[in-house]
Amino acid sequence: MKRFALPAVLLFSLLCVAVAPFVGMHSVSWEDILRSGGNGGRIFWELRLPRVLLGWITGATLSLCGMVFQALFRNDLASPDMLGVSTGAAFGAVLSIRFGFSFTVFGLFSALSTSAFLGAMLATAVIYAAGTLRGGGMSEGTLLLAGIAISFLFGSLNMIVQYGGGYVDTFRIMRWSMGGIQTVGFDSVRAALPGLLLIFCTARLCSRELNLFVCGEELALSRGVPAERMRRLLFLAVSLAVGVNVALCGPIGFVGLMVPHICRSLVGSDHSRLCGASLLFGGGFLVLCDTAARTLWAPAEIPVGALTSSIGSFFFLWLLLRKRR
Amino acid sequence: MTPLLEARALGLVLGGARILHGISFSVRRGGFLAIVGPNGAGKTSLLKCLGGLRRPSSGTVLLEGRPMEGLSRRRIARRIAWIPQSGTDSLPFTVREFLLLSRYPWKSAFSGESVDDREILANAFRLTELEGLQDRPVHLLSGGERQKALLAAALVQTTDMLFLDEPTSFLDYRCQVEMTALVERVNRERGITVLMVTHDINLALRSADRVLALKGGGVLRDGATDDFLDAGLLREIFDTEFHSFGGDGVRVPYVAPRGLVL
Repeated sequence: MKRFALPAVLLFSLLCVAVAPFVGMHSVSWEDILRSGGNGGRIFWELRLPRVLLGWITGATLSLCGMVFQALFRNDLASPDMLGVSTGAAFGAVLSIRFGFSFTVFGLFSALSTSAFLGAMLATAVIYAAGTLRGGGMSEGTLLLAGIAISFLFGSLNMIVQYGGGYVDTFRIMRWSMGGIQTVGFDSVRAALPGLLLIFCTARLCSRELNLFVCGEELALSRGVPAERMRRLLFLAVSLAVGVNVALCGPIGFVGLMVPHICRSLVGSDHSRLCGASLLFGGGFLVLCDTAARTLWAPAEIPVGALTSSIGSFFFLWLLLRKRR
Repeated sequence: MTPLLEARALGLVLGGARILHGISFSVRRGGFLAIVGPNGAGKTSLLKCLGGLRRPSSGTVLLEGRPMEGLSRRRIARRIAWIPQSGTDSLPFTVREFLLLSRYPWKSAFSGESVDDREILANAFRLTELEGLQDRPVHLLSGGERQKALLAAALVQTTDMLFLDEPTSFLDYRCQVEMTALVERVNRERGITVLMVTHDINLALRSADRVLALKGGGVLRDGATDDFLDAGLLREIFDTEFHSFGGDGVRVPYVAPRGLVL
């Protein structure tokens, strides 16, 4: 059964990416795609395909970040959005939008991405410090409460910045903070790719360390994992990836929580396989959600973040209740 | 000759409390040292300091004459394997996957499962008789099987030292005997140096060739196993009166608690 799980996930992912661009208000045929200049062709090449790809990259990135967090905290309920890292990133991004920062780092990361990354780092540092102050290891309750506190903190900072902003900025910030995948052309896709590559390569190369982290800090140390250094590296990678992503699509909740769970039940807990599964399933999953978000209420569309969060909150409750048993 | 492992004036303070103080002793290559003492004597903390899992507040631990702080995690893990007291409560891996994780200190991020690994795993499975349970999730093992799996994992790490923390605490008689016999075999046949923390003096009497008794964070006595048949010494260590059954005609010396010290 588990042997076929990974190929099945691959198939699912490919199918989502292949079919989604053809789904929508305006039907697109093969001739439209191949003939240049037509309306159908433009919709396909400039709107739908980039959107599907950006959705895939976003879903994959968030899932991998969630997977890494769940291993590091040894907790199924940990993910960057649950622990306020996404809200931290959002705060950075909101500051950047409000005050119109403009610079690039290595020509790869925009001002928006960089600010979001710094916000994410700040939130991660707070959780990390909270954990260290308590002598390492936080109980599930403490961890989630710390996450809530951080979310509230950055959420209210966001409101303060927004409140002081002008009409246009505020509207832009509000739409953005709902979390949606909107793009014209491939620029955003290109911008999102480094974040995904970074987190995937890091997680894949550290899959043995992640496995050992799941076994507990002491066991990991006794097997020779330089735990402190490794944890910092992984936190940094997650913060960067989350920052890049939040800057582009806004905070999209619960994907990072749900996907690793589903993947674990499919391929098991070995991170060398879990990495691939989270990448593929996470990508496919968000493409699916986004396609639903733009077609269910057509011609209007809802932000995909609102959709994933509403599915996700039920999933979260189910997880909590299942654990109590 | 430099001893395999040596503690020099080891002290540990945690949260203002003095856990260990002034501990000095050395471990002979191929020996079997039991660290005994009542609850809270600092046994586990001492083992962690010796294994580099916890940095002592004062003093040093020397591994073949080199200070432990200067060694990387990986280098330490190539020398010392660890069987923890607990913490394997919810491992989501199969026995085989779990054992393979112990090859970590010997491998780079890019190397997969090698022929050597498979050989080493098979060997450990054979010794612990866990072949049939390879694909079972660790959390579904019984207490005895789990303890054997932990031992197998430690062997897979292919070190020359084995640290055990209360290896038989939660086991029934049969599993206790099996586990003890396995550890003794590993010590005698493979020449692996064993350090074992236990509050069970009989276990120490049976298996160890040397015993270190801790009390209140300091060394109370460091001596040959037979010394610990002395009821007076035992009373001093455990604050309990003991009957002692040893000497001529007794094949396995043992002691039994008699009552509180009045």
